[in-house]
Amino acid sequence: MEIFDLLEKGLWAGFAALGFAILFNVPPRTLFAIWYLGALGGIAKFLMLDLNLNIILSSLIGASVIGVLSVPLAHKIHSPPLIFSIPAVIPMVPGVLAYRMMLGLMKISTHAGDAGMDGVLVDTIQNGMKTIFILLSLAVGVAVPMLVTRKESAKRIRLML
Amino acid sequence: MKKELAKIADVLLEAGAMLMESGANTGRIRVTVNRIVHSLGYQVELLITHRALMVSVIDDKGKFYSSKLKRTQPHGVNFKVLSGISRMSWRVQDEDWDLDQIKQELARLKSLPHYPRWQVLLLVSLSGAAFCRLFGGGWVEMLVAFIATFAGLFVRQEAIKKNFNSYISVFLASTVASLFSGLAVKLGIGAHPELAFATSVLFLVPGVPLINSFTDLIDGNISIGIVRGTNGLLVAFSIALGLLAAMVVFKI
Repeated sequence: MEIFDLLEKGLWAGFAALGFAILFNVPPRTLFAIWYLGALGGIAKFLMLDLNLNIILSSLIGASVIGVLSVPLAHKIHSPPLIFSIPAVIPMVPGVLAYRMMLGLMKISTHAGDAGMDGVLVDTIQNGMKTIFILLSLAVGVAVPMLVTRKESAKRIRLML
Repeated sequence: MKKELAKIADVLLEAGAMLMESGANTGRIRVTVNRIVHSLGYQVELLITHRALMVSVIDDKGKFYSSKLKRTQPHGVNFKVLSGISRMSWRVQDEDWDLDQIKQELARLKSLPHYPRWQVLLLVSLSGAAFCRLFGGGWVEMLVAFIATFAGLFVRQEAIKKNFNSYISVFLASTVASLFSGLAVKLGIGAHPELAFATSVLFLVPGVPLINSFTDLIDGNISIGIVRGTNGLLVAFSIALGLLAAMVVFKI
């Protein structure tokens, strides 16, 4: 049953990625790869969440799976890696957390002195920090594999050794 | 000689501007332009900013040079162009293309069609529903997110067609999408209508500016990374403002 749940989440992550691929007008030959990559990244993230890893690290691992796989795919399908990786990580954007942070900020700015605002303050900061760190880890997961494997930088690495 | 260099500078600016407008990061623009110019047998220096590009093409003896500046248009992500130019730069190198071939290829890439509008609307709305599912929504919430995303994207496309300011078009799209999903919250449709409310605006997230911003920052292009990040934050702010408008209307 768990595996079925995981696969279902992966399926939807793939479709979310596909929508963004169409929105960004990707070449048609890359569509299936983007769906697959989105699904794989989503499965990796939800698997880590199942193993009780926190949401930030899980997102980092999911995004890294996408980032690392986008490089060989880019060579195979002849398109730059970011064409695969950007649509595929977007399903991991912490939309609901950002929304909660926004609600909290509004409450704080309008009901500052009320009772129980301490809890709201803590929740808001927590949601905001989570949002920021998840977004950062998505960027790290996608950008680092791309920068490390670029031809110029790989050459530089060899010179340094 | 000078005329030849000026012609090359024009083509390089055209390719660079197309890359910038379609969502390439700074490192990619630099690498691609360098690849083209080296296989033509010249040297190049590039200045890349968010809304303007400058190149100096230098002949191999360093005797003549030509410098030109070009303003780039506001950005709209188009990965078909990005992929096409990147592919072209390899073919320029491997098949020894001349300047006219490059010009023709750039013109061809410019004229490539987008996906049909109904296809974009349907698939992006489906991805809105998928988002809702990923955050734990049920079938009813997914349907609400689908309809809200559809309406929001439709408004955004119309606003872009009418050349509205890009942040205002994001704000309008976010407002319309959250008015639709906010109605479901107000009427209590579904078990967790607020999930549909929060996910119906996610098709507007500035994914490309934010990821490119980060890539540029850690690649050493700090100034352009900051500019891209500010742009992404402004888009995020416009989305939040649209949500706020719907919340005020429905008193959620």
